[in-house]
Amino acid sequence: MNAFIYWKGHRWLALPARLYLGGVFIWASLHKIALPETFALDVATYNIVPLYLINLMAICLPWIEIISGAMMVAGYKSRASAWMITGMMVMFLTALLIALSNGLDMSCGCFASSTMEEGDAISTATVFRDVSWLVLGIYILLLDRQPLGLESWLRHRNKRNS
Amino acid sequence: MKPKPYSTLFTALLEAAVVASIACVIGAAVQWVHPNSIPFFANEAYETMVPCPVQEGKVTELSPQSPLLQEKNVLIIDAREEPDFDDWHVKNALRITYDFLDPIPAADQKKIARKIAAKRVSKVIVYGDGDTPDTGKLLGIDISASGIKNVFYVKGGAPKLQSEKPGSTP
Repeated sequence: MNAFIYWKGHRWLALPARLYLGGVFIWASLHKIALPETFALDVATYNIVPLYLINLMAICLPWIEIISGAMMVAGYKSRASAWMITGMMVMFLTALLIALSNGLDMSCGCFASSTMEEGDAISTATVFRDVSWLVLGIYILLLDRQPLGLESWLRHRNKRNS
Repeated sequence: MKPKPYSTLFTALLEAAVVASIACVIGAAVQWVHPNSIPFFANEAYETMVPCPVQEGKVTELSPQSPLLQEKNVLIIDAREEPDFDDWHVKNALRITYDFLDPIPAADQKKIARKIAAKRVSKVIVYGDGDTPDTGKLLGIDISASGIKNVFYVKGGAPKLQSEKPGSTP
Protein backbone atom coordinates (compact mmCIF):
# COMPACT_ATOMS: atom_id res chain seq x y z
CA MET A 1 0.00 0.00 0.00
CA ASN A 2 2.78 2.41 1.01
CA ALA A 3 4.64 1.63 -2.20
CA PHE A 4 1.58 2.74 -4.15
CA ILE A 5 1.19 5.93 -2.11
CA TYR A 6 4.86 6.88 -2.49
CA TRP A 7 5.10 5.86 -6.15
CA LYS A 8 7.00 8.59 -8.02
CA GLY A 9 4.86 8.19 -11.12
CA HIS A 10 1.87 9.87 -9.46
CA ARG A 11 3.33 13.33 -10.07
CA TRP A 12 3.48 12.59 -13.81
CA LEU A 13 0.04 11.00 -13.90
CA ALA A 14 -1.43 13.84 -11.91
CA LEU A 15 0.07 16.55 -14.12
CA PRO A 16 -2.44 16.26 -17.01
CA ALA A 17 -5.24 15.75 -14.47
CA ARG A 18 -4.19 18.96 -12.71
CA LEU A 19 -3.96 20.95 -15.94
CA TYR A 20 -7.36 19.69 -17.07
CA LEU A 21 -9.15 20.19 -13.74
CA GLY A 22 -7.55 23.59 -13.15
CA GLY A 23 -8.47 24.66 -16.69
CA VAL A 24 -12.06 23.55 -16.18
CA PHE A 25 -12.38 25.61 -13.00
CA ILE A 26 -10.76 28.70 -14.52
CA TRP A 27 -13.05 28.43 -17.55
CA ALA A 28 -16.12 27.87 -15.36
CA SER A 29 -15.37 30.93 -13.25
CA LEU A 30 -15.06 33.47 -16.08
CA HIS A 31 -18.73 34.04 -16.90
CA LYS A 32 -19.62 33.98 -13.21
CA ILE A 33 -17.12 36.73 -12.46
CA ALA A 34 -18.26 38.77 -15.47
CA LEU A 35 -21.99 38.40 -14.71
CA PRO A 36 -22.51 37.94 -10.96
CA GLU A 37 -26.21 38.71 -11.16
CA THR A 38 -26.97 35.95 -13.67
CA PHE A 39 -24.89 33.53 -11.59
CA ALA A 40 -26.85 34.58 -8.50
CA LEU A 41 -30.02 33.78 -10.45
CA ASP A 42 -28.59 30.35 -11.32
CA VAL A 43 -27.84 29.73 -7.63
CA ALA A 44 -31.37 30.84 -6.70
CA THR A 45 -32.89 28.51 -9.31
CA TYR A 46 -31.56 25.48 -7.43
CA ASN A 47 -33.81 26.59 -4.56
CA ILE A 48 -31.42 25.23 -1.92
CA VAL A 49 -29.44 28.22 -0.65
CA PRO A 50 -31.27 30.68 1.65
CA LEU A 51 -31.88 34.13 0.15
CA TYR A 52 -29.35 35.94 2.37
CA LEU A 53 -26.55 33.65 1.18
CA ILE A 54 -27.27 33.72 -2.58
CA ASN A 55 -25.40 36.93 -3.44
CA LEU A 56 -22.51 36.17 -1.07
CA MET A 57 -22.11 32.82 -2.77
CA ALA A 58 -22.33 34.39 -6.23
CA ILE A 59 -19.59 36.85 -5.24
CA CYS A 60 -17.21 34.44 -3.47
CA LEU A 61 -17.53 31.14 -5.34
CA PRO A 62 -16.20 32.28 -8.77
CA TRP A 63 -13.10 33.76 -7.13
CA ILE A 64 -12.46 30.57 -5.18
CA GLU A 65 -12.85 28.69 -8.48
CA ILE A 66 -10.43 30.87 -10.44
CA ILE A 67 -7.79 31.00 -7.69
CA SER A 68 -7.94 27.28 -6.95
CA GLY A 69 -7.88 26.57 -10.71
CA ALA A 70 -4.84 28.79 -11.21
CA MET A 71 -3.04 27.18 -8.25
CA MET A 72 -3.85 23.75 -9.65
CA VAL A 73 -2.52 24.62 -13.12
CA ALA A 74 0.60 26.33 -11.74
CA GLY A 75 1.35 23.51 -9.32
CA TYR A 76 1.51 25.87 -6.37
CA LYS A 77 -0.10 24.54 -3.16
CA SER A 78 -1.92 22.10 -5.38
CA ARG A 79 -3.11 19.99 -2.43
CA ALA A 80 -4.76 23.05 -0.90
CA SER A 81 -6.34 23.78 -4.24
CA ALA A 82 -7.42 20.13 -4.51
CA TRP A 83 -9.15 20.52 -1.12
CA MET A 84 -11.05 23.54 -2.43
CA ILE A 85 -11.97 21.87 -5.72
CA THR A 86 -13.02 18.65 -4.00
CA GLY A 87 -15.13 20.62 -1.53
CA MET A 88 -16.79 22.56 -4.34
CA MET A 89 -17.44 19.38 -6.33
CA VAL A 90 -19.14 17.77 -3.31
CA MET A 91 -21.26 20.92 -2.96
CA PHE A 92 -22.14 21.03 -6.68
CA LEU A 93 -22.97 17.33 -6.77
CA THR A 94 -25.23 17.63 -3.73
CA ALA A 95 -27.08 20.56 -5.33
CA LEU A 96 -27.33 18.68 -8.61
CA LEU A 97 -28.73 15.53 -7.00
CA ILE A 98 -31.28 17.53 -5.00
CA ALA A 99 -32.37 19.40 -8.15
CA LEU A 100 -32.65 16.14 -10.10
CA SER A 101 -34.57 14.41 -7.33
CA ASN A 102 -36.99 17.37 -7.29
CA GLY A 103 -37.50 16.84 -11.03
CA LEU A 104 -36.25 20.33 -11.92
CA ASP A 105 -35.76 20.81 -15.65
CA MET A 106 -33.14 23.54 -15.55
CA SER A 107 -29.74 24.56 -16.81
CA CYS A 108 -26.71 23.49 -14.77
CA GLY A 109 -25.30 27.02 -14.76
CA CYS A 110 -21.84 25.47 -14.51
CA PHE A 111 -20.21 27.14 -17.50
CA ALA A 112 -22.70 29.69 -18.73
CA SER A 113 -25.88 31.11 -17.34
CA SER A 114 -29.18 29.37 -17.99
CA THR A 115 -30.23 32.43 -19.94
CA MET A 116 -27.18 32.20 -22.18
CA GLU A 117 -26.84 28.49 -22.88
CA GLU A 118 -29.89 26.29 -23.17
CA GLY A 119 -27.92 23.11 -23.96
CA ASP A 120 -26.46 22.71 -20.44
CA ALA A 121 -29.48 21.07 -18.84
CA ILE A 122 -28.91 18.99 -15.72
CA SER A 123 -29.08 15.22 -16.21
CA THR A 124 -27.46 12.00 -15.04
CA ALA A 125 -24.67 12.79 -17.57
CA THR A 126 -23.95 15.97 -15.57
CA VAL A 127 -23.75 13.87 -12.41
CA PHE A 128 -21.26 11.45 -14.03
CA ARG A 129 -19.18 14.38 -15.31
CA ASP A 130 -19.07 15.95 -11.85
CA VAL A 131 -18.24 12.61 -10.22
CA SER A 132 -15.30 12.16 -12.62
CA TRP A 133 -13.99 15.62 -11.65
CA LEU A 134 -14.47 14.77 -7.98
CA VAL A 135 -12.45 11.57 -8.45
CA LEU A 136 -9.67 13.55 -10.17
CA GLY A 137 -9.68 16.05 -7.31
CA ILE A 138 -9.46 13.30 -4.69
CA TYR A 139 -6.63 11.61 -6.63
CA ILE A 140 -4.61 14.83 -6.71
CA LEU A 141 -5.40 15.54 -3.06
CA LEU A 142 -4.34 12.13 -1.78
CA LEU A 143 -1.61 10.94 -4.16
CA ASP A 144 0.04 13.90 -5.87
CA ARG A 145 2.38 14.47 -2.95
CA GLN A 146 5.19 16.19 -4.86
CA PRO A 147 3.43 18.00 -7.68
CA LEU A 148 5.38 19.15 -10.69
CA GLY A 149 5.18 22.88 -11.22
CA LEU A 150 5.89 26.19 -9.58
CA GLU A 151 6.23 24.90 -6.01
CA SER A 152 8.66 22.14 -6.94
CA TRP A 153 10.67 24.60 -9.08
CA LEU A 154 10.84 27.08 -6.18
CA ARG A 155 11.95 24.29 -3.81
CA HIS A 156 14.75 23.23 -6.18
CA ARG A 157 15.89 26.82 -6.63
CA ASN A 158 16.00 27.42 -2.87
CA LYS A 159 17.98 24.19 -2.37
CA ARG A 160 20.50 25.24 -5.02
CA ASN A 161 20.87 28.70 -3.49
CA SER A 162 21.42 27.35 0.00
CA MET B 1 12.74 9.89 6.63
CA LYS B 2 9.51 9.94 4.66
CA PRO B 3 6.63 11.96 6.11
CA LYS B 4 3.50 10.05 7.11
CA PRO B 5 1.31 9.54 4.03
CA TYR B 6 -1.38 12.04 4.97
CA SER B 7 0.43 14.21 7.50
CA THR B 8 0.30 17.20 5.15
CA LEU B 9 -3.42 16.89 4.44
CA PHE B 10 -4.47 18.89 7.48
CA THR B 11 -1.93 21.60 6.68
CA ALA B 12 -3.28 21.71 3.12
CA LEU B 13 -6.82 22.01 4.50
CA LEU B 14 -5.80 25.02 6.61
CA GLU B 15 -4.11 26.57 3.57
CA ALA B 16 -7.27 25.95 1.55
CA ALA B 17 -9.35 27.74 4.19
CA VAL B 18 -6.99 30.73 4.13
CA VAL B 19 -6.94 30.90 0.31
CA ALA B 20 -10.74 30.59 0.13
CA SER B 21 -11.09 33.45 2.62
CA ILE B 22 -8.69 35.60 0.59
CA ALA B 23 -10.66 34.74 -2.58
CA CYS B 24 -13.85 35.93 -0.87
CA VAL B 25 -12.19 39.19 0.13
CA ILE B 26 -10.98 39.71 -3.46
CA GLY B 27 -14.46 38.93 -4.77
CA ALA B 28 -16.00 41.43 -2.36
CA ALA B 29 -13.39 44.09 -3.23
CA VAL B 30 -13.98 43.62 -6.96
CA GLN B 31 -17.67 44.34 -6.41
CA TRP B 32 -16.76 47.97 -5.63
CA VAL B 33 -15.49 48.49 -9.18
CA HIS B 34 -17.46 45.84 -11.06
CA PRO B 35 -19.74 47.33 -13.76
CA ASN B 36 -22.37 44.63 -13.04
CA SER B 37 -21.96 44.53 -9.26
CA ILE B 38 -24.61 43.09 -6.97
CA PRO B 39 -25.31 43.83 -3.28
CA PHE B 40 -23.74 41.43 -0.77
CA PHE B 41 -27.20 40.44 0.44
CA ALA B 42 -30.18 40.08 -1.91
CA ASN B 43 -32.93 42.60 -1.14
CA GLU B 44 -35.74 40.52 -2.57
CA ALA B 45 -36.28 36.97 -3.78
CA TYR B 46 -35.08 36.10 -7.28
CA GLU B 47 -37.77 35.33 -9.80
CA THR B 48 -36.76 31.91 -10.99
CA MET B 49 -38.63 30.26 -13.83
CA VAL B 50 -38.36 26.49 -13.87
CA PRO B 51 -40.80 24.37 -15.89
CA CYS B 52 -42.97 22.05 -13.81
CA PRO B 53 -41.79 18.44 -13.71
CA VAL B 54 -43.38 16.40 -16.49
CA GLN B 55 -45.44 13.47 -15.21
CA GLU B 56 -44.90 10.30 -17.15
CA GLY B 57 -48.01 8.32 -16.32
CA LYS B 58 -49.85 6.34 -18.99
CA VAL B 59 -53.57 6.73 -19.62
CA THR B 60 -55.72 5.04 -22.20
CA GLU B 61 -58.41 6.96 -24.04
CA LEU B 62 -61.93 5.70 -23.57
CA SER B 63 -65.04 6.47 -25.58
CA PRO B 64 -68.06 7.82 -23.59
CA GLN B 65 -70.05 4.83 -24.89
CA SER B 66 -67.51 2.30 -23.65
CA PRO B 67 -69.05 -0.68 -21.80
CA LEU B 68 -66.18 -0.41 -19.31
CA LEU B 69 -68.10 2.43 -17.67
CA GLN B 70 -70.82 -0.03 -16.68
CA GLU B 71 -68.48 -2.60 -15.14
CA LYS B 72 -68.55 -3.19 -11.39
CA ASN B 73 -64.85 -3.43 -10.62
CA VAL B 74 -64.02 0.04 -11.88
CA LEU B 75 -63.42 3.20 -9.90
CA ILE B 76 -64.82 6.25 -11.65
CA ILE B 77 -63.26 9.58 -10.72
CA ASP B 78 -64.66 13.01 -11.53
CA ALA B 79 -61.87 15.59 -11.90
CA ARG B 80 -64.13 18.66 -12.03
CA GLU B 81 -64.92 21.36 -9.47
CA GLU B 82 -67.44 20.67 -6.70
CA PRO B 83 -70.33 22.80 -8.16
CA ASP B 84 -70.05 21.00 -11.52
CA PHE B 85 -69.95 17.66 -9.69
CA ASP B 86 -73.06 18.61 -7.69
CA ASP B 87 -74.89 19.58 -10.88
CA TRP B 88 -74.24 16.24 -12.50
CA HIS B 89 -71.92 13.30 -12.13
CA VAL B 90 -71.69 9.63 -13.03
CA LYS B 91 -73.32 7.44 -10.38
CA ASN B 92 -70.89 6.42 -7.60
CA ALA B 93 -68.15 8.64 -9.03
CA LEU B 94 -65.51 9.86 -6.60
CA ARG B 95 -64.72 13.57 -6.85
CA ILE B 96 -61.00 14.43 -6.91
CA THR B 97 -60.85 17.97 -8.27
CA TYR B 98 -57.79 18.41 -10.47
CA ASP B 99 -55.60 21.29 -9.36
CA PHE B 100 -53.02 22.45 -11.92
CA LEU B 101 -50.67 23.60 -9.17
CA ASP B 102 -51.06 20.64 -6.80
CA PRO B 103 -52.23 17.71 -8.95
CA ILE B 104 -52.89 14.98 -6.36
CA PRO B 105 -52.70 16.03 -2.71
CA ALA B 106 -51.66 13.26 -0.29
CA ALA B 107 -55.17 13.12 1.22
CA ASP B 108 -56.72 12.45 -2.19
CA GLN B 109 -54.10 9.81 -2.96
CA LYS B 110 -55.12 8.01 0.24
CA LYS B 111 -58.78 8.35 -0.74
CA ILE B 112 -58.12 6.71 -4.11
CA ALA B 113 -56.02 3.94 -2.53
CA ARG B 114 -58.77 3.22 0.04
CA LYS B 115 -61.45 3.01 -2.67
CA ILE B 116 -59.31 0.74 -4.80
CA ALA B 117 -58.68 -1.57 -1.87
CA ALA B 118 -62.30 -1.58 -0.68
CA LYS B 119 -63.90 -2.23 -4.08
CA ARG B 120 -61.14 -4.53 -5.38
CA VAL B 121 -60.91 -2.25 -8.33
CA SER B 122 -58.99 -3.38 -11.40
CA LYS B 123 -59.48 -0.25 -13.52
CA VAL B 124 -59.65 3.46 -12.83
CA ILE B 125 -61.63 5.68 -15.19
CA VAL B 126 -61.27 9.44 -14.93
CA TYR B 127 -63.37 12.07 -16.60
CA GLY B 128 -62.95 15.82 -16.44
CA ASP B 129 -64.24 18.99 -18.07
CA GLY B 130 -63.43 17.79 -21.59
CA ASP B 131 -61.62 21.04 -22.31
CA THR B 132 -58.17 21.46 -23.79
CA PRO B 133 -56.24 20.42 -21.78
CA ASP B 134 -58.75 17.99 -20.31
CA THR B 135 -58.58 17.85 -16.52
CA GLY B 136 -59.68 14.20 -16.69
CA LYS B 137 -56.72 13.23 -18.83
CA LEU B 138 -54.29 15.24 -16.67
CA LEU B 139 -55.58 13.71 -13.45
CA GLY B 140 -55.43 10.26 -15.06
CA ILE B 141 -51.77 10.83 -15.95
CA ASP B 142 -51.02 11.88 -12.39
CA ILE B 143 -52.84 8.90 -10.91
CA SER B 144 -50.96 6.57 -13.25
CA ALA B 145 -47.65 8.28 -12.42
CA SER B 146 -48.34 7.62 -8.73
CA GLY B 147 -48.09 3.88 -9.49
CA ILE B 148 -51.70 2.87 -10.19
CA LYS B 149 -52.15 0.68 -13.27
CA ASN B 150 -55.01 0.46 -15.81
CA VAL B 151 -55.98 4.12 -15.76
CA PHE B 152 -58.37 5.37 -18.45
CA TYR B 153 -59.82 8.78 -19.25
CA VAL B 154 -63.05 9.54 -21.04
CA LYS B 155 -62.54 11.47 -24.25
CA GLY B 156 -64.69 14.60 -24.21
CA GLY B 157 -65.12 14.39 -20.43
CA ALA B 158 -68.31 15.13 -18.54
CA PRO B 159 -70.10 17.00 -21.38
CA LYS B 160 -69.89 13.95 -23.66
CA LEU B 161 -70.80 11.56 -20.84
CA GLN B 162 -73.77 13.71 -19.86
CA SER B 163 -75.11 13.55 -23.41
CA GLU B 164 -74.80 9.76 -23.26
CA LYS B 165 -76.14 9.63 -19.66
CA PRO B 166 -74.60 6.32 -18.57
CA GLY B 167 -76.19 5.95 -15.17
CA SER B 168 -75.85 9.58 -14.33
CA THR B 169 -77.35 11.24 -11.28
CA PRO B 170 -78.97 14.66 -11.30
